[in-house]
Amino acid sequence: MKCKRCRRAEAAVDLPSHHAAFCPDCFFLFFRRQVTEGIRKLRLLAPEDRVLVCVSGGKDSLVLWDVLMDEGYETEGLYIDLGIDGYSDRSKEKVLAYAASRGKTPIVIELAKEGIPIPEAARCVRMQECSVCGTVKRYFFNRVAAEGKFTVVATGHNLDDETARLLGNLLHWQRDHLARQHPLLPGAGGGLVRKVKPLWRVSEVETAAYGFLKGIDYVTEECPMSEDATSLVYKEALSRIEDRMPGTRIVFYKGFLDPSNPLRKGPEAAAPADAAPMPEDAPVPDAMRVTEVDAEEDVGTPRACASCGAPTYAETCSYCRLKERVRKARSLRAAKVSR
Amino acid sequence: MYNAPMITVRLPQKKKELEIPGPRRVMDLLAEAGVRPTTVIVTQGRKLLTKDHRVEDGETIDIISVVSGG
Repeated sequence: MKCKRCRRAEAAVDLPSHHAAFCPDCFFLFFRRQVTEGIRKLRLLAPEDRVLVCVSGGKDSLVLWDVLMDEGYETEGLYIDLGIDGYSDRSKEKVLAYAASRGKTPIVIELAKEGIPIPEAARCVRMQECSVCGTVKRYFFNRVAAEGKFTVVATGHNLDDETARLLGNLLHWQRDHLARQHPLLPGAGGGLVRKVKPLWRVSEVETAAYGFLKGIDYVTEECPMSEDATSLVYKEALSRIEDRMPGTRIVFYKGFLDPSNPLRKGPEAAAPADAAPMPEDAPVPDAMRVTEVDAEEDVGTPRACASCGAPTYAETCSYCRLKERVRKARSLRAAKVSR
Repeated sequence: MYNAPMITVRLPQKKKELEIPGPRRVMDLLAEAGVRPTTVIVTQGRKLLTKDHRVEDGETIDIISVVSGG
């Protein structure tokens, strides 16, 4: 099969959803155009932005960092070591190696040192690991961005991630989440930094192909905590549909983002997730696991957390409340052991 | 007894390896391995293979899952 663009070289990537197949060089052009168009159409980034790119060691975030650097944005990488045995070390290694290859040193936050490694924290509060992880990561994304004077936080969520979340929100009629789901979560007063998802137009296959062809060495193993993640069920359903009807996923998501869609109110309605309070006690319902916003009364301007000063719509921020619950659980356990 | 060479299909994330008689197109090998095309990339060394690429006996390919959860 020949490349559909240059018509000379052998195709390396076939994309039924675009009725196209590209050689590596033409695919790079195509992919970067998809990302830059996604940024331009939704005004995700401005040339003068200082971008904090959240990198996990996986394909999406490293590819995002790579493209943004190549496009001339001022970027720094943030890696959060989740404290997951083995997996976190291997992920960190990939991030450090990639960063070094581009002359960068990422900012590293180690949750074990912060006293809140994900597996142990989740056990303590009897919550799903993904839910605890989301709360903790959102807190550090915003804190590092605010302290480092970054104007925007960028994450590697792709089309598959966004459509899986959309399907989950629709199936459970999470109207609040639907109203806020968008590749642009605006910042707010009180230190909430804008969040963007520049890969919203590209699929996981496209991101993986770009990373592979560019020689980016990423972690291919899945996070051991996410084996039972509900998002994987939605992704599987959507990939079955996409196999039979290529292009359905992007039509689904673009239709949802259409400003005339009554299910959503536009980016101005997107309450910043970082400040949203954490759900109390009971394990997070399945439907919530693919959502980003733990919605509560999150309108208006956030105030400073009474404990740490981070922006929040509650008395104390979700991170501080989580830490407090972990602390209490540990004390209880220690008291039982000493009896 | 002589064993004819076959196509070696590796699925590293599943720690699985299959031997399938060739020649076959990549899309047929994916079907044989029970893998959906929109969830993987298929590689051969440093090369990325399209779904209609023909693989010969004696060759090895890797099927890399691209689905991330959480």
